[in-house]
Parts: sequence; structure tokens; C-alpha cells
Amino acid sequence: MQGNHNIYKPIKATVDRVIKESPMIKSFVLIPEKEFFFKTGEFIELTINGYGEAPFTPSSSPLETKKIEVTVMKAGYVTEKIHALKRGDVVGIRGPYGRGYPLDKFYGKEVVILGGGCGFAPIRSLMYNLIAEKEKFKKVTLCYGAKTPDECIYKPFVDELKKIEKFEVLRSVDHADETWEEKEGVVTVLLDDINVNIAESVAVVCGPPVMMKFGTLKLLELGYPEEKIYLSMEKNMSCGLGKCGHCMMGKYYVCKDGPVFTYDEIKDQPDIWI
Amino acid sequence: MKKGFQIHKHSWLKYLTLLTNSHNMFVPVNNNNIIEYEEYSPELNNLSYFAAKPVTPLKAFLLPIKENVVIEREIHNKNIILGVPACDLKALELLDEIYLDPDHTDTVYNFNRENTILIGSDCYEIQEHCHCVSYNINPWPEVNFDLSLSAINDDFIIFSNSEKGEKLVNEMILNFQLTEAGLDILKKLQEKRNSVKKMLEKKNTRLPDYQHTGALIKKSENDKWEEYSKNCVSCGACAVICPTCTCFLLVDRPDFEKVRQTDACQYLGFERIAAGEDPLKKKYMRFRNRYMCKYVWRPEKYKSIACTGCGRCIDTCIGNINKNEIFIQMASL
Ligand SMILES: Cc1cc2nc3c(=O)[nH]c(=O)nc-3n(C[C@H](O)[C@H](O)[C@H](O)COP(=O)(O)OP(=O)(O)OC[C@H]3O[C@@H](n4cnc5c(N)ncnc54)[C@H](O)[C@@H]3O)c2cc1C
Ligand code: SF4
Ligand code: SF4
Ligand code: FES
Repeated sequence: MQGNHNIYKPIKATVDRVIKESPMIKSFVLIPEKEFFFKTGEFIELTINGYGEAPFTPSSSPLETKKIEVTVMKAGYVTEKIHALKRGDVVGIRGPYGRGYPLDKFYGKEVVILGGGCGFAPIRSLMYNLIAEKEKFKKVTLCYGAKTPDECIYKPFVDELKKIEKFEVLRSVDHADETWEEKEGVVTVLLDDINVNIAESVAVVCGPPVMMKFGTLKLLELGYPEEKIYLSMEKNMSCGLGKCGHCMMGKYYVCKDGPVFTYDEIKDQPDIWI
Repeated sequence: MKKGFQIHKHSWLKYLTLLTNSHNMFVPVNNNNIIEYEEYSPELNNLSYFAAKPVTPLKAFLLPIKENVVIEREIHNKNIILGVPACDLKALELLDEIYLDPDHTDTVYNFNRENTILIGSDCYEIQEHCHCVSYNINPWPEVNFDLSLSAINDDFIIFSNSEKGEKLVNEMILNFQLTEAGLDILKKLQEKRNSVKKMLEKKNTRLPDYQHTGALIKKSENDKWEEYSKNCVSCGACAVICPTCTCFLLVDRPDFEKVRQTDACQYLGFERIAAGEDPLKKKYMRFRNRYMCKYVWRPEKYKSIACTGCGRCIDTCIGNINKNEIFIQMASL
């Protein structure tokens, strides 16, 4: 990314499809004006023309370069505009930025993934990677939690995942209803049910700050070493390039040095769970 | 001392006028003891090269408060910034590390940098809060300048430090009488410079060693920070005026354009995330953040120092907060 390349200038992408995942979450399939390459866990900055920009981790497969999908929770100023997008609308994208998941460090291991709410977005992208190279992993266990059954996203994807050998999916909701046949409780309760050889395992956590905190504490309690817990951190961001200072977490720029960190790397930095 | 050239003050002024044909030139002027850059014209009679320091830090020329960073740059006349003090030249190191980061080079900053000629100058008068020496910076240009300017009486002494500087020297040689500065005058210059340095050292003896400031800041408790920040109104002036504070916000414009706009961690909401959580929600947290950033985190991350002792944050603070007094107090606890 050197030379005369303007780091702030987005390329254009056209909305191809809008998928309603839950009352507050929609996915958007975008077709960039040129092929777009990213590694799982890296993120993009999505621009609503003349209005604002926000960071998102693509939820699609990194192996797909002609289309890119983002899953967006309605949370405020920019995300509300994103939710109003329709097929044919044009947005801007910059990136990919940051440091994603170090897949090579997962090879030969049992991968335990803890996801909450919209934190499933980067995890789905990671899953596509894991599926594509499934012979390289011993086992993949996804523990996913949402507030209510209605708020569980990627239902068709989860159904597919359950059919794949070596992949296991456990789900919980904070508040179950009569349709819910899986677990009730905060997502960390799922960790009580998993069958994993911790010495041979790595853990990945992505979700809202509280969930990240309690998920990590639980994993530590189970005996995971600090350097085997991979966290995808969320901070306020503007540039995505390690310049504007908005995403500072102690000495780290979450946008450039992260967003994926091991717990070991960040445990001494301030305000990691905010 | 390296090779210097000597030029009479009158010839120098003529040269400046000549330069304005092909450059935009900004020079420090003194209005009621306030030093500030103004566009040069031969009519200016209050030029002030050697009285540290212009209110505006050098960064303002390279990272303007607002700049459209997406549109194509037009080639214009090069800027010359004359009379840049040593502290501001030193501050460029951090700016370069951030903005010329080879992973993501800010081409707009790079453009501004390449189109700017920096003429540094010695400080012969010091201001109340100048404390560059406390950060191991001498009060004369040593790094990051193209040309530097010193004076002994009515003779100016010029050193070149780059290709851009060489070019100017050669131009001067062609048009004016320029002689190589002799040992005698160079010796006088060194004495003059050293006396300013001594003055600064004497003024700042109470300051704890800058290498230890980070540790003092780190161990300060929250209640202390509440006390230190009592008079802070979160105006952000300390950050905006600081030559090494460079945080910004990208603001969107139609046609997918973006404006890079100065921002500061002192403002509420700087780190707020969508869920509403904000690691800097209280005033003392934002106040502390700037100190942690400068004296703990940036030093861990970058090679360059993040405070050059220019004293502008102290001059400017509406709450009369003096970081050096805070450090002295911290060291005494
Ligand atoms: C690396 C990373 C990956 C992410 N991935 C995803 C994902 O896959 N899916 C997902 O749903 N979310 C994701 N998020 C979170 C998402 O980026 C936020 O939800 C989003 O930025 C919220 O923006 P908003 O404007 O809608 O919210 P708001 O709460 O309105 O604003 C968020 C921030 O922007 C500031 N802001 C708001 N308005 C303005 C304005 N007019 N001018 C300047 N600043 C303003 C606010 O101060 C606030 O700090 C990710 C975040 C990060 C850091
Ligand atoms: S200049 Fe003073 S009052 Fe303003 S934000 Fe800085 S410390 Fe606070
Ligand atoms: S922190 Fe204050 S003294 Fe240090 S460089 Fe910034 S403005 Fe100057
Ligand atoms: S988002 Fe700008 S430095 Fe990280």
C-alpha cells in the first residue's frame, strides 16, 4: 500500500442483496468495483456517501473476492443509514485493515469459538476458512449466544454447519420462549457443556464488551493459557490506519495492531473491556 | 560545527524578497510580544526570527485543522516556513513516524512535507514556559531543517542540512555576497547558543528527569488526577496547540470525499463506542489520557519523543494548568 495510493479514498461498492437477520441486524452483500481481498478478522471502513463511515468485519468468506458481505447491527448514526440501504445503492469501502486471526496458529488444534450477538459476523468469516481447510483442525466448537431466539442470526448457516463433520454448534439465549429447544442462559454457560482437550485447544471470543470480559474470565478459569485466547476488540475508530488516535488502547492502535489480540498481549492495557 | 555561510542581514532580506517570487513564505512577526507566523512581505518591520516561539506550532502547516484528503492536490509554489524553533523541528519526528508509516503513508501529509522548505532558527530569547532542554533538545536547529539561521550582530550565519537547503545556498551564492563563516564567528555563535541553553537549564532545574516522568504518571492514583484536572474545562486547546498531538477525525463530504479534521482526546465522546460505553467518560480520565499518551504509551510505541518542551500547552490553558508543576508535585509525593 505504498506510493501514490490515497489511503483515505474509498472504492465504490454496489449493494446486491439485503438480508434481514434479526430485528436489529441486517446483512448486506456488496459488489466492489474491483476485486477485494481480505483475511478473516481484518476489517473494512464502510462509507455512506457524504454522511459517515464505520468499521465492520466482513462476515463472508475471504475466499470470495468478487462479493463481500457485512452484517450490521443498528446502533446509531451511521448504522441507521446503512440499515436503510437498498439493492442498487452505492457505498464506499476502504481496507482491509488490521491484523486478523492467525490461522496457522490454529492448525492441528481444537478450536473453541465463543460468540455473542453481532460478534457472529467475523466468526462466520472465520468459519468459512475453517471449513475450507477442515482437515487441518482437530475439531471446531462454536458456542453462540443471543438475547432471545429472535435475535439469533445466520440461522441457515447454523443449520449447514451442524451437518459438517468435526463441527459442533451450541447455542444459548438469555431469555428462551416455547420454540427454543437449546440452552437458556448467558453464553458462557455453554462452556460447561463442551468436550475439549484444553491443552490441544485455542479459543476465539467475539461479541459485546461484557460478553468478551466474562467469556475470557471463564476460559481462564477453565485453564486456557492467556496466549491461546484470541479476542476481537471493539473501539471507537475513524481512520483505521493507526493515525487518528481514536482507537488507542494503551500503547496499541486497535485498528492496526489488532483488532485481534491474544489476552496475553492486552491484559495490562487500560479499559480493555469497555 | 559544520560548514556555515555568512551573509549580511540586508542581503538576507533582499534574498527573502527574491524568494517570494517563487514561494509562499511565512515568517514570525512580533505583535505586542506575541510571536506569530505571517505571510512575508518586504514591508514587514516586526520580523522576529530568534525569539522563541510562534504561537502556532509547525504542524499547522503540514496537518491543517481541516484538509480534504481525497481530492487531487494541485501543484503550487513551495511553502517556506522561516524561523521554526528547534522544539518544533524535533516534533516532526513523531509526525513523520505516524504519517509516513510505510504500511499506510498519508500521501497528503507527504505532499505537504515535500512542498515545504523549513528554515529553522536559533532561540536567543526564551519564553516563560520554554523547557526544551528538559527533553534533551538544544535551543537551536539540529534536526529536520533544510536551512538554519543564526545571527551574530548584523551577520546571519546559515547552515544547510538537506538537498533543498543546498539549493537555496547555491542560489544565494549566485546572487549575493556569501562567505564561508570563519572559526571566529562560529566560536562566538557557539558561546551565544550555550548561554541560552544555560538560561533554560537554570529556569527548569526543578523539573524531574523526563525519562522518569512516565513512571510518575503511571503510578498516580485517580483521586490525584481528579485534583490535577480540577480546573480543566475540556477545551482541547492543549492538544490542538501541541506540536506533537496529531489526532483527527475523518468527516465525510459528497462524492466520497473526506476531510481530515483536528480532533483531541480531551473532547467528550472521543473514544465512545456505539454501545454507549466510553473509556474516557469522565474529565479526569481524558485529562490523564493525554499524559499517559505522551509520556507512557507513545514512548513505548515510537522512537520519537511525544513532548518537546515547547510549553505551549501551559501558555494556552484557560484553567492555568501547568504540566510541569504537576510533574514536580508528582515527584515530591
Ligand atoms: C474492528 C471493528 C469491527 C466491527 N465489526 C462490526 C460488525 O461486523 N458488525 C457490526 O454491527 N458492528 C461492528 N462494529 C461496530 C460498529 O463499527 C459500530 O456499531 C458502529 O461504528 C456504530 O456507528 P454508529 O454511527 O451507527 O453509532 P454511533 O453510536 O452513532 O456512533 C459511534 C461513534 O461515532 C461517533 N459519531 C457519531 N456520530 C458522529 C458524527 N456525526 N461525527 C463524528 N463522530 C460521530 C460517536 O461519537 C461514536 O463514538 C465493529 C467495530 C470495530 C471497531
Ligand atoms: S487547555 Fe487546559 S482546560 Fe483546556 S483541555 Fe487542556 S488542560 Fe483542560
Ligand atoms: S505537551 Fe506541551 S510542552 Fe510538550 S510538546 Fe506538547 S504543547 Fe509542548
Ligand atoms: S482508527 Fe485511527 S488510529 Fe485506529
